[in-house]
Amino acid sequence: MKKLLQKLFLSVLSLSVVIIGWISLGLAAGPVKVGLISVLSGPLAPIGQSELNAALMAVEEFGPVFGQKVELVWRDHQFSPGLGNERAKELYEKEKVDVIVAVPNSAAALAVSDQAERYKKIFISTSAGTTELIGKNRYTFKYNFNDYMLATTVGRWGAKNLGKKWYTITADYAWGHDLLKNFTAAFKEEGGIHVGNDMVAVGTSDFSPYILKAIKAEPDVVAFLNVGKDAVNATKAAVEYGLKRKAKLVYALLFELDIKGAGLELFQEGYTAAPWNWQVNIPGAREFSDRYYKKYGDRPTFMAAAVYSAIWQYLSVVKKIGTTDTEKVIQALEGHRFADMFANPGYIRPEDHLQVASAFLLRVKKPEEVKEKEDFFEIVGSLPAEKVHPPVGFFKTLR
Amino acid sequence: MDVTYILAQLFNGLMLGSFFVLLSLGLSVIFGMMGVINFAHGAFYTLGAYAAYTLCYVLDLGFGWALLIGPLSVGVIGMILERTLIRKLYNVPHVYNLLLTFGLMIVLVEFVRLIFTSVGKPFETPGFFRGSVDLGFIMFPKYRIFIILISSLCATVVAILMSKTRLGAIIRAGTDDSEMVSALGINIPRVFTLVFGLGAALAGLAGVLAAPVQNIVPDMGSEILVLTFVVLIIGGMGSIIGAILGGFIVGELITLGVVFWPPIAYTLLFFFLAVILLARPRGFFGRAKFFE
Repeated sequence: MKKLLQKLFLSVLSLSVVIIGWISLGLAAGPVKVGLISVLSGPLAPIGQSELNAALMAVEEFGPVFGQKVELVWRDHQFSPGLGNERAKELYEKEKVDVIVAVPNSAAALAVSDQAERYKKIFISTSAGTTELIGKNRYTFKYNFNDYMLATTVGRWGAKNLGKKWYTITADYAWGHDLLKNFTAAFKEEGGIHVGNDMVAVGTSDFSPYILKAIKAEPDVVAFLNVGKDAVNATKAAVEYGLKRKAKLVYALLFELDIKGAGLELFQEGYTAAPWNWQVNIPGAREFSDRYYKKYGDRPTFMAAAVYSAIWQYLSVVKKIGTTDTEKVIQALEGHRFADMFANPGYIRPEDHLQVASAFLLRVKKPEEVKEKEDFFEIVGSLPAEKVHPPVGFFKTLR
Repeated sequence: MDVTYILAQLFNGLMLGSFFVLLSLGLSVIFGMMGVINFAHGAFYTLGAYAAYTLCYVLDLGFGWALLIGPLSVGVIGMILERTLIRKLYNVPHVYNLLLTFGLMIVLVEFVRLIFTSVGKPFETPGFFRGSVDLGFIMFPKYRIFIILISSLCATVVAILMSKTRLGAIIRAGTDDSEMVSALGINIPRVFTLVFGLGAALAGLAGVLAAPVQNIVPDMGSEILVLTFVVLIIGGMGSIIGAILGGFIVGELITLGVVFWPPIAYTLLFFFLAVILLARPRGFFGRAKFFE
């Protein structure tokens, strides 16, 4: 009898251990892991850093999911497509992240998109412009801005409000060409006329010959389809040769970083488009910017806001459906309607995984108009989502 | 085509050429006399621009001071580098000093990046030079006229230095045969240091002049360095006249390229370079012994 009781006791004990172990194994499935790849070194580092800051804020402020803190894993790809590809493989395979966000540099983003498909994990592209990412594969979601949206916002609004005769100065590589195509289509739709274009090699320091050509063409608007250093050098020449007094200057992309680097006097009275700005009149935007400012000492770029929103929306969806299973998350994100400090309203189209929202027109302030630190832009207009994004079917579709 | 417009572009090409002249003068003399292919020359240009930024925006001095102190400080840096590093490699094949100066270029640029970060620095056209002058065929920025004038002045001064002074005679003789000059009792090492410093100072001056017109970033010297080598080859390595003429020719070639068809701007230049290399490798005014 004693032996029987002993055996019974032992089997109940071992069975309990097995059951408890099995339950805890299910619970210890690990925290939700979010991956971030961005440019954290070199001249564009401030942008990548702002994205990382926003990601850290998002993960911390969202709180725990399934009882555990969300883990953020990040890597620097130095704006290189090759490195971006490697980091994506590392994050999906070794670190087993559930999603990757950011990835500036369109070529790098395209590579990461392929890796997402290979590993059957999600990629939310917030930081690259190429429209090739829209509807590329099931696992890729295009968030924030893209070339079509930038060009259309400024082109349409500019042709209506700034002038009809447009001269373009284009960076001579894939992104520049893509922008040129979209810009000319946009301003022509509102009655604009293209009076001339110059393809300029990336890294050119002296734009004076091109500015002289532009002056000769007598445009109302000059559009600079380049970024960073090139945009600064082009503007310097435009100011020197008096072009700025004769025409309005418009930029494809302009960041606070560029303005700080070259001076507000240089860029004042210039125009650009952006999906978001820290002073935009969306509920929660100002509070987000203030929290960011308190933590990091400067204002968030729209890139940072997009990363914050993308991570927040991803985590919201995961929490709601109760799993990080890729297929289920994709289905939940498709058609996801939301409202946060970045997009209000925001919507992710199921047909091509494009996140759509309104876009804003920004004017660079004159130095005497600045009221607080980094108060560089005035929001002079906005266009609703249906005016800045084309109907479904314009890009590739997944259905 | 509009004659006024072409004249305007050609005049603008002079301005472009001015930077090439300043940079290639220094590079030409350094190569001519010491056989050093100075890849760090672009870094001296960058240092000049950052010196201007520091003097004018951090220390709040006027642009006049930047024009004076900037090139001088870059010249001193050049002389220190020559004394400590570059002179070790005079008697070895050119490849070695090429590697050294290339390495120096990287180190200097990264040093700048460390101190000033990769973000660009602002620099406005100095107050005295703001505005444009009506030259009839073009409204030309006052500052850019200043650039043309200053470069021409420097080129003239250097040319006179070379041809009319004792120092210039020593340098020219040293270019031909430095051992012989040394045998005549002249302190050749000191002359070398001076020449290197002079070359660096000229590059520094170009950098200071460029500060208002080009975005000040650590790698601002890379594009212009390549073009400066092209100028040297076309004008002739080791020749002052070659550097001056070559500089303005290249400036005009690029400008004309832009006028007629921008994608051809640099292609035209390199095509011209190829022709020179095939037909007359020494360049217009180069010394035969280097290449033939």
